[in-house]
Amino acid sequence: MSPDRSQTVYAASAADLALRALDVLRGVEGTAFVAEHVECADDPKAALAAIRYVGADIFAPHLLADAALSPEDAAAVAQSFAVFPPPVRTPEPPPAGAAEPWIAAWRDWATAALLARLAGTEGDGLPAPQPVGAPVLTDHADDAAPGADSDGPETRASAVSTPDTGWQHWSVRMGQLSPLALPALDGPVHAAARAAPLALARGATRAMLRRDFPTAARITRWLALLHAEGVRLPLDPLPLVEHLRLHGGGPRLALDVAIARRLLGPEAP
Amino acid sequence: MTAPVTRTAHQVSSRALAWLHAHREYGALPADTTIDLGDPDSVYKPLGETALAASLVLRESAAGSVELRLAGDLMDFCWRQFGEGDMLYERLLRYSMMTDPLETYVPFARCGFRHDPLERLLAHTSALRSVRAVEAVPNRGLAVANAARVVGLDQGGRGYDWPTLTRATWLGATPEPWLVDWMTGYCATHTVFHLTDWGGDPTGLPDDIAAYVTTWLPVWIDIWAEIEQWDLVAELMIVGCCLKEPYCAPADWERLARIQHPDGLVPRDGDPVPDDPDQRFKDHQHTAVVATIAGTLAVSRTLGGAADPR
Repeated sequence: MSPDRSQTVYAASAADLALRALDVLRGVEGTAFVAEHVECADDPKAALAAIRYVGADIFAPHLLADAALSPEDAAAVAQSFAVFPPPVRTPEPPPAGAAEPWIAAWRDWATAALLARLAGTEGDGLPAPQPVGAPVLTDHADDAAPGADSDGPETRASAVSTPDTGWQHWSVRMGQLSPLALPALDGPVHAAARAAPLALARGATRAMLRRDFPTAARITRWLALLHAEGVRLPLDPLPLVEHLRLHGGGPRLALDVAIARRLLGPEAP
Repeated sequence: MTAPVTRTAHQVSSRALAWLHAHREYGALPADTTIDLGDPDSVYKPLGETALAASLVLRESAAGSVELRLAGDLMDFCWRQFGEGDMLYERLLRYSMMTDPLETYVPFARCGFRHDPLERLLAHTSALRSVRAVEAVPNRGLAVANAARVVGLDQGGRGYDWPTLTRATWLGATPEPWLVDWMTGYCATHTVFHLTDWGGDPTGLPDDIAAYVTTWLPVWIDIWAEIEQWDLVAELMIVGCCLKEPYCAPADWERLARIQHPDGLVPRDGDPVPDDPDQRFKDHQHTAVVATIAGTLAVSRTLGGAADPR
């Protein structure tokens, strides 16, 4: 199997699983959708990899729509960890370490933590350890409430940030960590989100204007979570989510939007 | 930390101003120009914009003596082009409903170049209900109101309804920031320019709109810089200078300095710049005007100047 063929198979499998999760989240069908996804797959290994790719969002129906986690589904997720074991030691956070393995480690932790919580196996230890750190944002000074008093022009003029730690890059990285934007999880990444609603709102707006709807939807997940927590946002997330629902495409984006709408609650259109 | 912005902004604006000055003859009105102006946007409007930039250099007085001399020269040049006001007067005599004679006159009136017959005619015309009710996009209504304010035509019961004019604009609605487009971006910048009289009175911007602009300006600058729309980027950088708490990011100024040509030309966008000097001027004169204003205001604001609060 060529790498290209392999990529296509994995992507198709992840899309299939995202659609199954979406259906359950919408109340279309019932139980054991993760196990079914593996059983029905032509390539079960790809199906197990897809579990890790969709990650914690597999549990959105259980956290947000009262679906019960079936033992078969719990076993399928556990099998994915057995077949593709995460590194024993968590990677160093950027800038000391590379971003991608560190983001993957956070996503694995989120999946493992929710599996343990929903399956009641928290005492057994997690198959994926919790990484340290959160995406670093250096232009925090700007996250004061708009119009708030500051120390004058010097303050705004001196908000120095490198390309890697400005709100643009930071918000994209938070988007890559969007499976953590679920109500049952908490940690340093969530604390980073709560500390920077302005940077998240700017990042979502930037992605919208760049017509990068998948990134906009991922960042908007965090805005929706903060809204659910009662954090005051610089923009109204409701029309943003609806716009994404009507303009974006693909199962992955549809799942992000559906999760955001659930987080926003009955206000969502 | 303001020093790098001040220095870079001064460099950009002084070079752009020198470029406008050196190439001013390319912007002269053709010899056969009449007040009918088949294409007002070709030379007439750009001349007025050059005068605007020069008038703001003189108003702020934050530049060096060379820049002040060049700005004074440009004011003289543009004023002569307009027949020392006669052309504006004759155009308004013929076209009572048009607002451009008033708007073009503003930078001159600001700097003491007055034309009494034009002012008498403007005082009459601008008070007519017919002229006040001319249909235009909302930010144009603010342009006229600010022009009348600068010339002093809004006295004695002839004031403009600023709150209603403001709320009619796109920016006045504090809209979803993620839907702005290129043309609307220009509308938003001009709403801020007119409400604050080009940064002369930052308090002219209502607090909720100032907070809105402060929140979203970095995003808009970012996305239009990415696609190299330098003219709009520089306009947005003027907007940053019009806020009570100015937004002048060092990286934005370094980027504008990087794209400026050694001779002072500031390209309007990422397309290749033509070699033909006439075409170079026609294509990029507006961006030089915008860069001159942006740099002038950035120098003034980072040095602590907030112009005269009204």
